[in-house]
Amino acid sequence: GAMADPRRPGKVARYKPPATETNPALEDPTPDYMNLLGMVFSMCGLMLKLKWCAWIAVYCSFISFANSRSSEDTKQMMSSFMLSISAVVMSYLQNPQPMSPPW
Amino acid sequence: MKNLYIFIVVLFIPWSFSLAKYDEFEDGDDIMEYDDNDFAEFEDVSEDAVTESPQRIITTEDDEEEATVELEGQDENQEDFDDADTQEGDTESEPYDDEEFEGYEEKPDASHSKNKDPITIVNVPAHLQNSWESYYMEILMVTGLLAYIMNYIIGKNKNNRLAHAWFNTHRELLESNFALVGDDGTNKEATSTGKLNQENEHIYNLWCSGRVCCEGMLIQLKFLKRQDLLNVLARMMRPASDQVQIKVTMNDEDMDTYVFAVGTRKALVRLQKEMQDLSEFCSDKPKSGAKYGLPDSLAILSEMGEVTEGMMDAKMIHFLTHYADKIDSVQFSDQFSGPKLMQEEGQLTKLPETKKTLLFTFNVPGSGNTSPKDMESLLPLMSMVIYSIDKAKKFRLNREGKQKADKNRARVEENFLKLTHVQRQEAAQSRREEKKRAEKERIMNEEDPEKQRRLEEAALRREQKKLEKKQMKMKQIKVKAM
Repeated sequence: GAMADPRRPGKVARYKPPATETNPALEDPTPDYMNLLGMVFSMCGLMLKLKWCAWIAVYCSFISFANSRSSEDTKQMMSSFMLSISAVVMSYLQNPQPMSPPW
Repeated sequence: MKNLYIFIVVLFIPWSFSLAKYDEFEDGDDIMEYDDNDFAEFEDVSEDAVTESPQRIITTEDDEEEATVELEGQDENQEDFDDADTQEGDTESEPYDDEEFEGYEEKPDASHSKNKDPITIVNVPAHLQNSWESYYMEILMVTGLLAYIMNYIIGKNKNNRLAHAWFNTHRELLESNFALVGDDGTNKEATSTGKLNQENEHIYNLWCSGRVCCEGMLIQLKFLKRQDLLNVLARMMRPASDQVQIKVTMNDEDMDTYVFAVGTRKALVRLQKEMQDLSEFCSDKPKSGAKYGLPDSLAILSEMGEVTEGMMDAKMIHFLTHYADKIDSVQFSDQFSGPKLMQEEGQLTKLPETKKTLLFTFNVPGSGNTSPKDMESLLPLMSMVIYSIDKAKKFRLNREGKQKADKNRARVEENFLKLTHVQRQEAAQSRREEKKRAEKERIMNEEDPEKQRRLEEAALRREQKKLEKKQMKMKQIKVKAM
């Protein structure tokens, strides 16, 4: 037999995004860590003139971007990205020699 | 005899000229040689080619005396000429440029110093070489970045395709059960968006609402992070699968009070540790479901036996046995408040809010290598969810069960209150002190001295009363004790 329609348009509740501010444990910390790491490495690369630091900073900012939530600020992402690119460029302007491998 | 010697000297001149010219072309390579020859008599052989060459030029040009000394020294080294010959050459070579003797000195010393020092070719700094090969590390880095970007695009698209394949398969079932399918909370009116809500490159949400029994249903497609190359590489070591998590929030009147879970043993052990309600109400270890005909991979966590009996009806057992490989965990709970919150010691003043919830976690088959077609195999699981919603509404505990359940809940609350008793006392104490301080301040700030006096008196009286009360209480307790 035909079942009654279970739908109840009158009883519709709106979607409420789960409050992640009260539950920081549920959030994925990767994009924030990578952002911070990227900034630390680009500062190292700029101050200590280490090319490999600058390159790692670029990688960190890419990883942070890939893992980021859509609600997150693009400004933060862009700023860390720009900082790492500038670290690489500055390292090469100061010392155009190619990077030497650690081995 | 004299003619012969003049002839030899005359021969020497063009020969030294040619050598001098020859040397100028090979300046770069023979810097080391020059220096050794020059200072061979004065110092031990030194390796520093670069610093010595300017010194050398200065000394030979400025110091005539040294030039003659050198010539004489070099005379000693000569193998081809007698001493007499070179002495004649001495007097005649002085008027010539010192440059001429660059080559002249070099040749005999060359054979002398050949055995002492190997020729070292100075390295031209790599960035001055116009070749891309020296930048191989940089090229490697850029290639790595390009690979990462490529993987990002490919992974993002794959997740997107999987999500939409899932939605297309399930759309009909959802639309026939819920009035509102798809809502992101931003529209003014509650209309179905009919679309998934993309939270991330690997997480998609769908909110459905408008059905009997339940307030709403939140479906989360938690895909693997295919867009992150690091994650892809990590998964090569440790395989994982995409998950579909469904959370149904029940109306208060449509579900009785019980806590029940079924799933893989590993998942249940983890949930029992993490989830607030499972850890408090289900104290036993996960039990095997073989009694009901469930496969060995599944286990049961329950508040009391009656709940398990009630839950395990024929249709549910059918669902669980047929789709056991896709089921990670199923949790029905009236005390659901999510995972245990890690709070600091002194912050926990009241129980977390609970909601009557049904929580389902399914694993997408394929263990990472899923294709959009696999999404069809998840459709029966959604039917199970719908069935569970209706079942949860129908299932009611009998009188005995209800009593036990109420006792359990009271027990948990009491334990909680005991734990926080100290904190609550401290909180009350601090509140009282705050009040007193506020009053004192008010008295201080009172401009009118009359009013001040009166308020002070009132405060004093109140304090006296309090003290009396306390004394009375102490007396009473003492009497009781006796």
